[in-house]
Amino acid sequence: MTDLPRRSEAKAGTAVALTGITKVFPIPFQRRSVVAVRDLNLEVAAGQIYGLLGPNGSGKSTTLKIILGLVPATRGQAKIFGRDSDQVASRESVGFLPESPYFYKFLTGEETLRFYGKLCGLRGAALKDRVEEMLALVGLTSARKRRLAGYSKGMLQRIGLAQALIQEPALLVLDEPTAGVDPAGAREIRDLILKLKSRGVTVLLSSHLLGQVQEICDRVGILANGVLVREGALNELLGVENQTQFILENARPDLLEAIGDLAARSGARVIERGRPCASLEQLFLEATEAQDRNADE
Amino acid sequence: MSDFRHRAFSFSRMTAIAGNTFTGLTRLKIFYVLLLFALLLIGSSVFLARMTFQQEFQVLKDIALGAMSIFTSLLAVIATARLLPQDIEDRTAYTVLAKPVSRFEYLAGKLLGVLLLLALSLLAMSALFFAVLLLREQSVLNETARQMAAAPVEQSADALRLVRASAFNVNLFSGIAVIYAKGCLLAALTLFISTFATSTIFTTIVMAFVYFIGHLQPIAREYWMQTNSAGMFTKTFLALVALIFPDLQLFNLTDDVVAGNAIPPVLLLKTIAMGLFYCSFYLALAWTVFYRKEL
Repeated sequence: MTDLPRRSEAKAGTAVALTGITKVFPIPFQRRSVVAVRDLNLEVAAGQIYGLLGPNGSGKSTTLKIILGLVPATRGQAKIFGRDSDQVASRESVGFLPESPYFYKFLTGEETLRFYGKLCGLRGAALKDRVEEMLALVGLTSARKRRLAGYSKGMLQRIGLAQALIQEPALLVLDEPTAGVDPAGAREIRDLILKLKSRGVTVLLSSHLLGQVQEICDRVGILANGVLVREGALNELLGVENQTQFILENARPDLLEAIGDLAARSGARVIERGRPCASLEQLFLEATEAQDRNADE
Repeated sequence: MSDFRHRAFSFSRMTAIAGNTFTGLTRLKIFYVLLLFALLLIGSSVFLARMTFQQEFQVLKDIALGAMSIFTSLLAVIATARLLPQDIEDRTAYTVLAKPVSRFEYLAGKLLGVLLLLALSLLAMSALFFAVLLLREQSVLNETARQMAAAPVEQSADALRLVRASAFNVNLFSGIAVIYAKGCLLAALTLFISTFATSTIFTTIVMAFVYFIGHLQPIAREYWMQTNSAGMFTKTFLALVALIFPDLQLFNLTDDVVAGNAIPPVLLLKTIAMGLFYCSFYLALAWTVFYRKEL
């Protein structure tokens, strides 16, 4: 993937505001109903990366659909940059990538982006340029003339991301953006999300991959059975107040011994000491990249 | 963000969806199989058994217009029935409707794409039909001229005029226009049913019933009116039935065209207006269902 070609227009204030959102799905031919989301209050500040977490069936996708106006809320109000989300105009500033999307398989990658660009009001040279930029951004320039029926899952996810970004949205909504993508692809998507954030784009994503969420999100909300059970800034939620961690490089054993003694004398307790491990993802990427380099040589 | 102001209805968004729908349908194998079948049927009329030229032209028109009518109706139903269920199942509807696209633009775009496909396929079939007709007319004219070589000039000219009159007349265009109006109506009705149907098969089966009821209901209505006193309640009930199940017999003007009878312009306009009314009515109904549909 290449660098972001243009600077997105950042918006200030609240990107998403949900007030008292409740969604009830009646069960056909039965008197019972299912409450998918219950009295949800949530705010996503502009410029943040917000992670919506929760087990399957916790109401994450329903919440995202309510924000996008795809499903009407039974009660409550959803707003995007101050506009009711059931208004079509509110979606001018939103890009959306659904979970495991199937785009029109009969279209090529380029045709797909042209189609979505037209829906966002892009025309002529502006549309052409934007399609080029997006294809380069997601690394699909060489596959532009290939029909989506022949794309791999990772490529579909990337073209999905490109269509979500086609009109340079101020808010990007991603439902499981790295589902089914290999670790290298997942890292590229994660890097892209961070780049977008640096350019002022707000990102709201739902994911099962807690490690990835922890790496990139500023705030998270955890849903369980349609109820927001925890919400806040990631460092506030995860930080342990009375503990401190520091990692040393090239420390001699006598130095470590001295630190231990110093800690004991001051009344502190060393809870854990050992070598930090590289993540499995890091190992995977290093191994596959080395293999790729060998194959090229 | 791109610099544009949102409009409640955008013709260009609708045509973008129509273009995409049209492209999708023309890249389907089933479309070519059906079109090839219809073209073969029309083309094969060139090899009709030699009868009197009046009979030959009549059978040729009968086969061609019949094939056009059946193929257009079939394509209208098959092409439209799969559009919404597939988009929802594949979640492509999410990506389209998550853009600043209204649900009306989405539906109208889908319908417009099908109508474009129907127009194009009807155009292809008409071109072949007229080519076959012209070929046969030329052949009959040459034969007649040879046979009448010894006859007086006036008698020969009369015979040739008769051949030309039996082969081609402007009413054929009226017949084709009515076939298209019926196709448009069926596509709009299929779109409406697919807004609440759970699968493509369900929509297709319902449309098969509607098609037969639509052809039979005028007969049933006439019988009902004859055997029962036509009170206010009966009239309202029958009007309602006629609204839900369109009177497809109204679009059955091809018999007159084949027989060489002229279709009065008023009747033609009335039939086309009826087709347009039903088409708009079903599109409006589809929108009322789809507007609040949970995707």
